[in-house]
Amino acid sequence: MARDLGELNREDFARYKDDVKKEGKPFFPRAIFHDTVMSFIVVCVITALAVIWYYDADGVKPGILGPWYTEPADPGTTDFVPRPDWYFYFLFYLLRIFKWPETVFIATVGIPTIGLMLLIGLPFYDRRRERRPLHRPVAMVAAVLTILSMAVLTWKGATAKEALGSELVTLVPKWAEEQGFADNPEAVKGAELFAQSGCLNCHTYMGQGAGNLGAPNLSEIGATNDASYFVQYLTNPAAFGNTVMGSYAYLGQENLAALGDFLAASKGTSSK
Amino acid sequence: MAAKSKKDLLVANAILAPLDWVDERTGAVRGTKWFLFRNVPRDVSWAQTLGSAALTAFIVQTLTGVILAMYYEPSSSIDPITGKPIAYSSIEAITNELTLGWLVRGMHRWGASVFIILLFLHMGRVFLFGAYKYPRELTWITGVFILATGMLLGFTGYLLPWDQTAYWATVVGINLNGTAPFAGPWLAQFLAGGPEIGSDALAKWYALHMLVLPGAIIGLIGVHIYLVTRLGVSSPPWSSEEAGRERPPVQTTGTRSGLVRGGGGGD
Ligand code: HEC
Ligand code: HEM
Repeated sequence: MARDLGELNREDFARYKDDVKKEGKPFFPRAIFHDTVMSFIVVCVITALAVIWYYDADGVKPGILGPWYTEPADPGTTDFVPRPDWYFYFLFYLLRIFKWPETVFIATVGIPTIGLMLLIGLPFYDRRRERRPLHRPVAMVAAVLTILSMAVLTWKGATAKEALGSELVTLVPKWAEEQGFADNPEAVKGAELFAQSGCLNCHTYMGQGAGNLGAPNLSEIGATNDASYFVQYLTNPAAFGNTVMGSYAYLGQENLAALGDFLAASKGTSSK
Repeated sequence: MAAKSKKDLLVANAILAPLDWVDERTGAVRGTKWFLFRNVPRDVSWAQTLGSAALTAFIVQTLTGVILAMYYEPSSSIDPITGKPIAYSSIEAITNELTLGWLVRGMHRWGASVFIILLFLHMGRVFLFGAYKYPRELTWITGVFILATGMLLGFTGYLLPWDQTAYWATVVGINLNGTAPFAGPWLAQFLAGGPEIGSDALAKWYALHMLVLPGAIIGLIGVHIYLVTRLGVSSPPWSSEEAGRERPPVQTTGTRSGLVRGGGGGD
């Protein structure tokens, strides 16, 4: 008689129950002893991390485990490379791999969703009764590949370097010179904001920047539109069909106006 | 002898009777016995402690989190005394002024990372043992939801100190949400609490971080542990003493395996 999977599974589990009853050890106190020791170690490790973190750092001055806190949040000046907590580094790095605007949501939404689905579905597509690792080659290879790629992405995310706003801002006089807006203080202020607001994490400008996520080179953007258009654009890029770039409304009207002037003044080196 | 039995009687009246009273109405005593006085496979050992280790880390998060909540203020308005955002100032005060505040905050902060690491290790051991297979599918699925909720807890907590790291990581996170098709922009708008990320956002993230997500994860953990107790923990599949191992035909022809059917909650 051919027996179906469900029946075999139930038999296995019945045997399991029976074995546990006859040859098992009592959860209390035998197994719970291991649990208690392990829990104790966990609490010790957490405490030790907290102590090292506290005594090695001092306020905003980081120790080996980082600072107590960084400077207060400041939406205006953004000389700051955004970093999520370490377990999001892989996502953070995926974003740099999917550079083109049409593909960004693959990294931000697609891959995590697929990953979650694969995890939830695991017991349903891996239906064999076999539990010994060496007899589950596909599962083991898939697991090793997953762990490796997560590790590599996390590592890359941790060590990825963006040019800091403070380094870029030193280029502003050069930009002003070459673009010919050195005599326009509003545009110069806009250029400084541009350097510090993370625009160059996506865009390129005068040979600087990352060219990520399909963001265009802005060196000659001033030839296309005027300052008020750019202010509107930065306030709500989504209204212009740009769902990659976030809104910069938080910079405030004054700063946005400066950015607008800067962009409008960036007509490229040729047209000066 | 007579004295002793009188003492026994006293004990029975003072302790056992109230317990019986409670048990008769709630089943709490029987439930605790069911949880504690059960057998686990003989070869269960360190690898199977990772789940309870994650539970311990979670309990640390809960306790330290409650203390932090007593002193933390989720507002991005400027504190007139310090000239810094109120949330930031309250974090500074917890770290620098509150007795052992630094320890509570440090444990909460590092406990989060330890918790996530333990979740991954626990999941790895379940995967290695093939312990997600029949009949433990739902245990696995509640586990996946716990992992997702745990990561969201980390993400929402990251914003609360309202420092540059927190703020900019969150701006990027919200913008990422915004790239999702359909619900994305709406979700981003909701999380940011308006065009500018400010107090509205902080209050929302705080509510998520200390009410909604912990509520969800506690419910999930409860179901998870109930299932683990009901179904039993699995042996290492390579163990020669594995509970449920296949026997040579001679042994399994007996009546015993066919009769004891699975699914038993009971005791
Ligand atoms: C997350 C990546 C990203 C960041 C950060 C970013 N942008 Fe963009 N930006 C884009 C993308 C992608 C496009 C192109 C969208 C399209 O083609 O629809 C774009 C388009 C633009 C345009 C319109 C270009 C055109 O051809 O009309 C302007 C202007 C602009 N960005 C300015 C800025 C400024 C100023 C900043 C910093 C305050 C900034 N961007 C930050 C991704 C980004
Ligand atoms: C707060 C988080 C969690 C807690 C407190 C927890 C707790 C536990 C405990 C105490 C056990 C008993 C055996 C052991 O410790 O290994 C267990 C088993 C199990 N866990 Fe978790 N767990 C958590 C998260 C997860 C996650 C993220 C997954 C996987 C996605 C998962 C899947 C499972 C499965 C399938 C079992 C059954 C294993 C077996 O019977 O051998 N759990 N869990």
